[in-house]
Amino acid sequence: MTELIDLSEVAGQAGKFDCFLEQVRDRFGFDHVAYLGSNPVAGTMHGYVTYPEEWKRHYTHQAYHLIDPTLRIAQRSIAPIDWSRIEQSDNFRLVFCAAREFGISDRGVTIPVRGPFGDTGMLSVTRDTDEHEWRAMIAHSIGDLQSIAVHMHDAVMNSDAFSNVLRRTPLSSREIEILQWTAAGKTQQDIADILNISHRTVEVHLRSAREKLFSLTTAQAIARAIAQHLIYPI
Amino acid sequence: MIIVIDAANRHLFEDILDDMYRLRARVFSDRLGWEVTIENGREIDRFDHLDPLYIVGLDVEGEVISCVRLLQTTGPHMLSDVFSAILDGEAPLRSSRIWESTRFCVDTARLSREGADTTVSRATCELMVATLETCRDAGISDIITVIDPVMNRVLKRSDNAPYDYVGTVKPMGKVSALAALLDCTDERIGRVRNFAALHDNVVLTDAAALELRPVTAQNGLKNREVTVLPGQTSSVALSPVIGLGHVPG
Repeated sequence: MTELIDLSEVAGQAGKFDCFLEQVRDRFGFDHVAYLGSNPVAGTMHGYVTYPEEWKRHYTHQAYHLIDPTLRIAQRSIAPIDWSRIEQSDNFRLVFCAAREFGISDRGVTIPVRGPFGDTGMLSVTRDTDEHEWRAMIAHSIGDLQSIAVHMHDAVMNSDAFSNVLRRTPLSSREIEILQWTAAGKTQQDIADILNISHRTVEVHLRSAREKLFSLTTAQAIARAIAQHLIYPI
Repeated sequence: MIIVIDAANRHLFEDILDDMYRLRARVFSDRLGWEVTIENGREIDRFDHLDPLYIVGLDVEGEVISCVRLLQTTGPHMLSDVFSAILDGEAPLRSSRIWESTRFCVDTARLSREGADTTVSRATCELMVATLETCRDAGISDIITVIDPVMNRVLKRSDNAPYDYVGTVKPMGKVSALAALLDCTDERIGRVRNFAALHDNVVLTDAAALELRPVTAQNGLKNREVTVLPGQTSSVALSPVIGLGHVPG
């Protein structure tokens, strides 16, 4: 995950969301990556895409976001929605025939995110390729894409100052304890031995702690935990 | 066999879900004595209104024999609210890679009767395999599941023991409840498949499930003509998401 910008590190930097999506695209070899999120607390919607300008204009002008079946279904889904699973409705054909003219494939997947306050996000990736390669690509990247989707969503939602305060999730004693040992230089196996829990339990709590601190990396999570006086600097 | 139902296909399987709510009423209210809300013989709570993912087991006659419900831990879910006592006041895990599974149950009465076509153990393993595989394929690394001690023993016996527990065991109705962690690795899936000798795909396609349930097929086809997913024709894009808007917290 180290190649990607940690969005929590570059607060306020213009263009960071576009840049992040371009990095995701290049790292996994997708044609395009798009994020759309809605923040009901602030009453705002946010969209960031790597699509060509002409498609963005056409999509907005035709108001495709009102009928785009990938968004309609994914918005209510828990699991990632592969676009091949979506019923071939009139709207599906309308949006994807137009997309094809702009060189955008109908092979894609949309990963839904649900936040704590009714906020939702959707990260979509697409690539014009055959079925076999597509399946392999997604099987390889889907776990990272889940983390990336939530990281992007949290960063976008938290760009609203009120939401940033509201959306802070408390850490559990165990998460804080594990962060503290990590800050002290202990490995996950060391920590598992010290706390007499499984290695995987350490890993799961560390991942949860990172996400609660809106960080992609453990280093950034520790920096934030120290800044928030959750743990002591060592 | 297993069917996976979510917002994308639930309009085809409303009557399977209806039977599932009835099974949950029999298990969680009648048998386990949990304080759940029963209406017209169905156990439905507010998390069912959040478009969760259901994994539902059917026997050869197409009757619902098992079910479980999955929700993301980044959004509203049971451990962050209803089951918070289990966590002793501690904050729940929140991760893009962990889903919460709740309302895990099997129709032991139906499966213990004479002439049942499968066993409780096998039905439980099928449900677990389908759940673990669905999670794995979605990029989920771990499941946190709220279960009772009986289900915990069943998991252990099926070579599917939780690798750890979070919080402590808390009394709930006639029994108690606890939160267990399960990894969705190929290794675990292999162990459970091996234990129950499940070698084939356990998840039915929508088409195969409709065939197994003639009633569902009729409803499904009928629904197909008239049902529009809520929001599909709405002129407001991305209104604060359907079902989530009115949930406190």
